[in-house]
Amino acid sequence: MANLALRSLVQTYGKVTVLHGIDLEIEDGEFVVLVGPSGCGKSTTLRLIAGLEEATSGFIEIGGRVVNNLEPKERDIAMVFQNYAIYPHMTVRKNIGFGLRSSPLSRPEKDKRIEDVAALLDMTDLLGRKPSQLSGGQRQRVAIGRAMVRDPAVFLFDEPLSNLDAQLRTQMRLEIKKLHQRVGTTIVFVTHDQVEAMTMADRIVIMKDGFIQQVGTPSEVYHRPANTFVATFIGAPAMNMVTGAVADGGVRLDTGQQVPIGAELDDGRRVILGVRPDDLHLDSGAPVLSGSVTVREPLGPETLIYVHVEGAGEITAKADGRLPPDVGQVVHLGARPEDMHLFDAESGEAL
Amino acid sequence: MYRNLSIRQKQIVWAWAFLVVPVIFYSVIRFYPTGNAILISFQDWNLLGKRTWTGLDNYIKLWNDPVFWKVFKNTFVYLLLGTPVSLVISFLIAYHLDKLRFMHGFLRMLYFLPFMTSAVAMAWVWRWFYQPVPIGLFNNILASVGIPQISFLNSTTNALPAVLAPAIWAGLGFQIIIFMAGLRAIPRSYYEAAHIDGVSTWTVLWEITLPLLKPTIVFIVVFSSIGFLRIFDHVFNMTTNNPGGPLNATKPLVLMIYESAFTNFDMGYAAAQTVVLFLILLVVSLLQLRILRDS
Repeated sequence: MANLALRSLVQTYGKVTVLHGIDLEIEDGEFVVLVGPSGCGKSTTLRLIAGLEEATSGFIEIGGRVVNNLEPKERDIAMVFQNYAIYPHMTVRKNIGFGLRSSPLSRPEKDKRIEDVAALLDMTDLLGRKPSQLSGGQRQRVAIGRAMVRDPAVFLFDEPLSNLDAQLRTQMRLEIKKLHQRVGTTIVFVTHDQVEAMTMADRIVIMKDGFIQQVGTPSEVYHRPANTFVATFIGAPAMNMVTGAVADGGVRLDTGQQVPIGAELDDGRRVILGVRPDDLHLDSGAPVLSGSVTVREPLGPETLIYVHVEGAGEITAKADGRLPPDVGQVVHLGARPEDMHLFDAESGEAL
Repeated sequence: MYRNLSIRQKQIVWAWAFLVVPVIFYSVIRFYPTGNAILISFQDWNLLGKRTWTGLDNYIKLWNDPVFWKVFKNTFVYLLLGTPVSLVISFLIAYHLDKLRFMHGFLRMLYFLPFMTSAVAMAWVWRWFYQPVPIGLFNNILASVGIPQISFLNSTTNALPAVLAPAIWAGLGFQIIIFMAGLRAIPRSYYEAAHIDGVSTWTVLWEITLPLLKPTIVFIVVFSSIGFLRIFDHVFNMTTNNPGGPLNATKPLVLMIYESAFTNFDMGYAAAQTVVLFLILLVVSLLQLRILRDS
């Protein structure tokens, strides 16, 4: 087990800079999720940690030692790939054992390790099978087993759940989290799915265009987003954003509505007001927005309503599942001041 | 009438509409002559006269013909030498070319060029390479470093490998392309996972690359075996003065068939040899498919 640190990590391919100086400290035993849209540099970061690519500049430290010039096998890491990378011509036993090929352990010791890992992952009776005889979830477990058998200091997961169907993904998410609680090894997990990030991580690292946008616990990034990108990326449906300007100790939205939010800012400053659909309520709280319902999406316990607000565009809100407003009906949406987020209109940074 | 058919029946009608041309083509150009050849192998015919029924006479004659056994052996030497040598060389080139970025396209084109070149032109160029001093390229090189002359095409032991070399070279380009396609089809993450596990390049080659290339290898082995069993133009053009010589040392079965048919006009005998070649091709291909697919 070991902590992990990235210091001013830069990666360029020709003229394209993919990572612009990443700084990140990961504690021993921590489960950290790198999340962001495609092309944000999250997979590159993981591949740099693994040693599959060489960093242009900056340092990678695992367990306090700089590993930039070490081969992957010397870094004491193991990686689980998106397509599992389990070999179709080998049995499950051989696939898991492949991780031990270069290990100095004796044959019986290796066999014992393989069997221990198989037992831990509940795969003992699958050891003799070929990957083609396994389901998607079982293949995923073989891939995890192959990483575990080496007992590495750090586990790296590269979008391991993307190839699974929705139900299995939820199940594997839970299994990986339980596994982490049991073995306690440091995990760096890459995904583009914010739900995966929120549900699994001890800490989330949100990336965009090669920059880290925010690092924090799921609760921190959800409740105190650092900027508009994080605010809209985390949480589904996305946070509503309405532009306005500071006026009279509050914010005057471009819709004309004055919102009494305790902003100690200069009058006239352009700002963006963000409110999550979950925090927008019909006819309660301080009135924020009004408009007519254009679309309803019933989800069971609640119904998503899309409201056309003059000057603010389409606004999403959650309404009661049993008695949602009709399409075309004019609704008034309100929110508590503490549920509203203010961002600078130019930089997008939280205020 | 067409309107009243079900969707499935319409699909069948269309399928046959497209199939009818190749079916007629294959029946007339392939299957009819094949059947006819089998028939002629039991007859005596000089191409112009009457066909007379002779039963198994052609096959008995073949069995007792020492030249046939020499040719039979030659054909298998071409196969057993040509297939593994070309397989190993083309794999080695493809394996390294696949990793090379610099001038990749140009090099691939260079390797593919012989495959597109006419076998006749190539055979004549190689024939010139093999001549003695002062004409032949190889012997000139040998002479310049003081090594004694090698008679390539005039020696009964050297002639067959000398003829086989350009045939292997000519097929390499195609095999390299197929191997590279096979190599490209192996997901990169397989290699990356092995890299992280820290196994040696040798292990990766033997336990990941080659097993995953098996379908490609099966295809190339079967395809090139058929090619070497049917070798003709290289031999014929490099030994024109005495086709298949010296002393039948390079003569393959197809050349013997050609001579029986169009030099001796013994169509029945040629047809019997053709049937034997057909059976050899069939057995070798089926054997290879079975051995390489199952294990």
